[in-house]
Amino acid sequence: MTALSIKHLTKRYGSFTAVDDLSVDVEPASVCGLLGPNGSGKSTTFKCLLGLARATSGSVTIEGAPLQPGTFDYLAYVPEKSALYEWMTVEQHLEMARRAYRKYDAARARELLATFKLPPKKLVRRLSKGQHTALALVLAFAIRPRVLVLDEPASGLDPIFQRTVLDLIIDAAAGGAGVLFSSHQIGQVERAADRIAVLREGKLVLAGDIDTLKGDEKIVIAAFDALVPEMPELAHDPNVRRIERGGRIVRLYTDGESERIAGRVAALQPRSLDVVDLTLEDIFLGAVGEDGAAPPIGVES
Amino acid sequence: MFRVDPRSGVPIYLQVIEQVKRAIALGTLAPGEQLPTVKSLALGLTVNPNTIARAYRDLEREHVIETSPGRGSFVPAGNAQTDSRRAAHDAAEKELADALRAARSFGLDRRTVTALIERALDHWFPHDEQERA
Repeated sequence: MTALSIKHLTKRYGSFTAVDDLSVDVEPASVCGLLGPNGSGKSTTFKCLLGLARATSGSVTIEGAPLQPGTFDYLAYVPEKSALYEWMTVEQHLEMARRAYRKYDAARARELLATFKLPPKKLVRRLSKGQHTALALVLAFAIRPRVLVLDEPASGLDPIFQRTVLDLIIDAAAGGAGVLFSSHQIGQVERAADRIAVLREGKLVLAGDIDTLKGDEKIVIAAFDALVPEMPELAHDPNVRRIERGGRIVRLYTDGESERIAGRVAALQPRSLDVVDLTLEDIFLGAVGEDGAAPPIGVES
Repeated sequence: MFRVDPRSGVPIYLQVIEQVKRAIALGTLAPGEQLPTVKSLALGLTVNPNTIARAYRDLEREHVIETSPGRGSFVPAGNAQTDSRRAAHDAAEKELADALRAARSFGLDRRTVTALIERALDHWFPHDEQERA
């Protein structure tokens, strides 16, 4: 059964549409990275998911059922800004979680506390930003959740603990959990996730399996001795997303069958021809319409 | 034992497949030897477990490794010599293909590339190996 399913979710604030007809499924034992620029609707999506904001339309189901109090026995949520009590200590938070959650695993919590080197007696008010995040993560993972929703789970952590968070996500997925997490760091998504969903202005602009996207999305670059010849058939090729031509050089952005397309271009007898792999960052920037400088000709990425 | 570069445009599962083949070709993974479990390799490389599982599935389909439920994945013990020769053959073929693709992208023609290959062969295989074979 799908761990988490968002169907046609729309959230409007007055005339502003924060999330626009969003559908995303997260399967068990799978990690979906939610990417998007600031203000693209990621946090609003999380709020609607968790019942912290009421969706204007659409639905959210967790393991096939709508959100209900019992859901939180197996669903853990780490918000971008942790909701901890400033006047309580680290261990008081653990004690509160032990009482609140049926599945709370005290041994696991102690283990995680040690992993993040959190001082049990310290007041939350005296914790650093990274330690705040770490404590929220300890509380989330201590219930051994089957569904995890993490909003920027590594923010404020040093590179070593960022890696720890990724390991926790990977470990949870290997144990069968479905994970949805947002991050501004594409490198983190690239490691921990197997799928991505990209939001832009509240709309889903790209979704899919990361390795499949990387395998499909390429740039075919050709340089000719004279002006680039017309290529009307390639312009209408279903796998050619767009063509950029400038003088003697042409770039064809493909979303599959790049070797076939390169073959068609080769038939026009260019001076040189190359197929360049796109990184996830290139693919992401392309999807949100912020293409960086195109890679120079002939340079392998 | 393995290393992947998640930032590369090459899908991670393909990188894992190539590394396993290379390890078998080089003998770092010996016939009959067990591969790490999906979970331990995922944690070892900090990579999504499904990505590793996909690489293992493809390797199995190509008969490069064998998986038996509950026991894990192994390099086949069977015809060890042929298998490691085939793995070496595959790994070398891929490297050569990459080099030729680069040569094509530099705009070299077939004759020039053939001459380059001849020169490289003279350097790395100075004695005519055909006579020994």
